[in-house]
Amino acid sequence: MKYFFIFLIFIFANVSLAQEEIPIALEKVQINLSDTQSLSRGAKFFATNCMVCHTLIYMRYNKIAEDAGVLYDKMPINVKTWPNGVKPPDLSLEASRRGSNWIYTYLHSFYIDKKRPNGVSNLLVPTTAMPGIPSIFQGQQIRVPIDQDKRIYLWKYQWYDLLALQTPGTMTPEQFDATMTDLVNFLTYASEPYKVQQERLGWWVIGFLLILFIFVYLLKREYWKDVERSRLS
Amino acid sequence: MENFLKKINVIAWIENRYPLREFWYKHLTHYYAARNFNFWYYFGSFSLLVLLNQIVTGIWLAMEYTPTGEEAFNSVQHIMRDVHYGWLIRFMHTTGASAFFVVVYLHMYRALIYGSYKFPRELLWLIGMTIYITLLAEAFTGYVLPWGQMSYWGAEVITSFASAIPFIGDDIEVWLRGDYSISTVTLHRFFSLHVTAIPMVLLLLVFIHLVALHYVGSNNPDGIDIDHEHQTPDDVPFQPYYTIKDLVGAVVFLIVFFSVIFFMPAMGGLFLEAENFTPANPLQTPPEISPVWYMTPYYAILRAIPNKLLGLIAMASAIGLMFILPWLDRSRVRSIRYKGMLSKIAIVVFVISFIGLGYLGIHSVSPLRTTMARVFAIGYFAFFLLMPFYTRYEKTKPLPEHITK
Repeated sequence: MKYFFIFLIFIFANVSLAQEEIPIALEKVQINLSDTQSLSRGAKFFATNCMVCHTLIYMRYNKIAEDAGVLYDKMPINVKTWPNGVKPPDLSLEASRRGSNWIYTYLHSFYIDKKRPNGVSNLLVPTTAMPGIPSIFQGQQIRVPIDQDKRIYLWKYQWYDLLALQTPGTMTPEQFDATMTDLVNFLTYASEPYKVQQERLGWWVIGFLLILFIFVYLLKREYWKDVERSRLS
Repeated sequence: MENFLKKINVIAWIENRYPLREFWYKHLTHYYAARNFNFWYYFGSFSLLVLLNQIVTGIWLAMEYTPTGEEAFNSVQHIMRDVHYGWLIRFMHTTGASAFFVVVYLHMYRALIYGSYKFPRELLWLIGMTIYITLLAEAFTGYVLPWGQMSYWGAEVITSFASAIPFIGDDIEVWLRGDYSISTVTLHRFFSLHVTAIPMVLLLLVFIHLVALHYVGSNNPDGIDIDHEHQTPDDVPFQPYYTIKDLVGAVVFLIVFFSVIFFMPAMGGLFLEAENFTPANPLQTPPEISPVWYMTPYYAILRAIPNKLLGLIAMASAIGLMFILPWLDRSRVRSIRYKGMLSKIAIVVFVISFIGLGYLGIHSVSPLRTTMARVFAIGYFAFFLLMPFYTRYEKTKPLPEHITK
């Protein structure tokens, strides 16, 4: 029993340590799965920039890659050795697992960290093995000290409270946001390609059931009329 | 054609060989139920509806699903992406699993508040409890099949409970898994159990449950005896009155059910856990392993007790106590409407404890949460263990002669 409480204190100590870590709020991304142009822009960006390392095994990705001019034998599935032995994750279900806001925030939160082997860290995954690919477009970011006055009032920090642009990238911040929105839109589509059909069909099914309810309810009332009458008498 | 049918008289032909009409009379048009069934009385028929949904969607899922460690996760994605309306069938099945427990818990709560487990319905209650246990086994084996991280590690944790049994525990664990850890062998046998053995037992038990119900008659919110074999001012024939009323209920249920399926099938991680979108990986333990919401009250009791074996005993007795409920309740009346204040307080404590334990079981452990889990566990056990005393000594209200509103 005594050991159990020591164990609990140990857990508690860990939790309080974890709370010292700065909590990061996820930035809300406005995506539209019906916007096919955004989806194809996102797909193109993915094929030219992400597919060097990441797979989308449930997306028939070799077709997308061929269309984008990626050579099949250079595709990630054929690569046997990875830097530091970490295989980049498949992203077919990333949006279901993490959520679109998480991916959007993650892609914005790379910053220079000389202590890391690949020279970058990420606010959401400090030990990330991914090199700072987004920084090419977004620009190099550095970590800035926390505004202590703000700290009292805020529960969580936005990524842009903690990072500052040091050298600009190939895109303006607006362009980068728009491109990342397209990319997240595409990844969300890749996770749930049925989603648009699902919601459209949903309205029809619910609509049908609501109309059915009216008729079934009226029928029930008709049947129960005599029971109500006998109850009163 | 019409003349031909008239000549051979199909109904009469069957009637001479099968008691079709007798069945219809006995169990529908001449089975009488109290006329004051309220909201709580829908959930029995909803359970049947969900069972039907699970069987039909399950048949279609099994056509495309592959129960091997290599292919299971892929085949689920194949169903979601390549099979026409595969996503709909799968979401109906996954939402149906959770809906099953929602309606079964509310059905059990109805029995609890109106004393439907008391004489002469003790056996009906025991059969119902056996259905509940079978359903837990069905849900557990089913949850392993998508072969995601939570499937794998949930199975690992739950089968490891067996190892706490003294002396033979480790052997039982290996026997359950068919391997030294969860593997494709385990997956394959759980698939077999999930689609054949357990559903057959479930259907048989549901049939026996209905036979027992129609033998003793349905209870009612007043908990008074009525004649279920003859028409009286207190009751109405099941058909058409309750068939049509249950149909209205079923449509409302389906509106809620399909709203979940089409607009929030993951239910914020309650029905489909985010961790389960990662394929099973025996080398990587997820940061937090928790069972699906319907098992978490017991899981919270288990975690509240520092000793594994004692925790398992507590968890098993939490379910076991429900079996002996008919003999714990010593009240002269069945329904909560006529029981005393102590019973009413007890049921409130029980509901808060059960929901509280369920909430805590979903979330990670902290000292405050462990303390809360212990308080709720005490509340849960006190409801059952003190029941012989508070039900016997409290003052009950006089029962009405006839069904009230």
